[in-house]
Amino acid sequence: MAEHVAVAGLHRLWRIGILILIFALGAWAWSSGLLPTMFDLWDDIVYLGRQHIMLVAISGGAAVLVGVPLGVALTRSAFRRYGDIVLQLLNVGATIPTLAILALSMSLLGIGDTPAIFGLFILTLLPIVSNTLAGIRAVPPHLIEAARGMGMSAGQILWKVELPNAMFVIYAGIRTALAINVGTVPLAFLIGGGGLGELIFSGIALNEFSMMLAGAIPTALLAIFVDFLMGQMQLWTIPRGVNPLR
Amino acid sequence: MKCLKSILAAVVAGAALTASAQADEIVVGGKNFTEQLLLAEMTAQLLEAKGFDVDKRDGMGSQVVRDAQLNGQVDVYWEYTGTSLVTYNKVDERLDAAATYDKVKELDGEQGLTWLDASSANNTYALAVKDGVEDTGSIKTLSDLAESYNQDGGLVMAVNAEFPKRPDGLPGLEEAYGFETTRADLKAMDSGLTYQALNEGQVDLALVFATDGRIAAFGFRVLDDDKGFFPNYAIAPVVRSDTLEANPKLAEPLNALSAKLDDQTMQALNAQVDVDKKSIENVATAFLTENGLI
Repeated sequence: MAEHVAVAGLHRLWRIGILILIFALGAWAWSSGLLPTMFDLWDDIVYLGRQHIMLVAISGGAAVLVGVPLGVALTRSAFRRYGDIVLQLLNVGATIPTLAILALSMSLLGIGDTPAIFGLFILTLLPIVSNTLAGIRAVPPHLIEAARGMGMSAGQILWKVELPNAMFVIYAGIRTALAINVGTVPLAFLIGGGGLGELIFSGIALNEFSMMLAGAIPTALLAIFVDFLMGQMQLWTIPRGVNPLR
Repeated sequence: MKCLKSILAAVVAGAALTASAQADEIVVGGKNFTEQLLLAEMTAQLLEAKGFDVDKRDGMGSQVVRDAQLNGQVDVYWEYTGTSLVTYNKVDERLDAAATYDKVKELDGEQGLTWLDASSANNTYALAVKDGVEDTGSIKTLSDLAESYNQDGGLVMAVNAEFPKRPDGLPGLEEAYGFETTRADLKAMDSGLTYQALNEGQVDLALVFATDGRIAAFGFRVLDDDKGFFPNYAIAPVVRSDTLEANPKLAEPLNALSAKLDDQTMQALNAQVDVDKKSIENVATAFLTENGLI
């Protein structure tokens, strides 16, 4: 009991500390002229932020739409023997530096937003497929056996037993993938793909700290927002019985 | 115990050695596009051949390499007179080539930087269109371009990270010629890619550097700067005055290299890298050897 109170106290202290820290950061940013300069760049932030969100939505959305079914297919009996090979390939793919993936897609598709979306798609696909595979494989065999014993068909087992039980791990993969995606979009600037990276790279080239922040802070906020959104989906779309969050 | 002592002695001796080596080391800086990578490589090879210890650090943005030099992290790099005049020293006057050089030599000298001899290569900013494209066929000068933006706009310009924010870049250009671009007219990318973007027709015009070999190779037409907005961007080696005092022999080989560079030479060298895809190291070595510099 006493321990519980102590933990709660510690939590409150943390929260107050963080609030003070945020306030101090804000005050410093305002007094040093960082924030006013950032507001001067507001038009740029809005325009480039919209491009950034489009890049994330298209590449990330496509990766989810392709990645999850692909992962599921690789656990079906017809393709099961390819699962390990594909997983190994995906692991190798995940070790390629992100900049190299963008450079490779540029040599295939030229410059602009098409290669950027393609590169981001590949990058986002890998963790989604591997987590889907891992999630479905980790479903306890006795659950499947029980389902089979009840006379469920393979399709019913997939929809009613395997997917709900694997959902949490699949979502974890999607969250990781989208966080990487948002954080990688700034590199798309280098191949003319647009996005908030333009402010970051202009800031670096001109050594203007506030310009770098004007690109970096919205990018970070966007990553946090996307992760929050996926967390909410994870909370509300996974059935109560198999959801560790509820 | 004896063993420990000898290790300790070795470490101390090693530290002393590296410390003495660092004292004579010349850090060569460079910016992040082909010409600068080439100049940095040529400088590094040249100084190494003259017996200096060289550490090459290139690939930086303009302001970054300038700050690094002021801070003492870079000893020498090749700067453009116009960049120093307008961007670093905030001079708004229109000056001719010689006056620009004298002015930056004086102003930077007060900050502890020494400008060696300027080359006759003038790597000015320029906007180029592709020959034979209908939309931009009638645009010959920057005044024509301004008029086009003022009438219907819609032309898309490929630019690098610096140009839209530099005083001697787009903001100054818009003011001098009286036009305005919108956010959607600009497509920003890594500096070398603007040529590819224009060549593939993804944009209507591109920011180019006058000494780039791809202008001729890709059939680009440079728009005439009819109001003389862009200053002269003569290329010259800039050395920290402290470094030069400690290594007086630094000036002679750099001035000799500077004397060999003009527009045609620079264009040919850049083209060997960007068009013929030769490696920067090989192009640098070949040029230095052919001209008897190493």
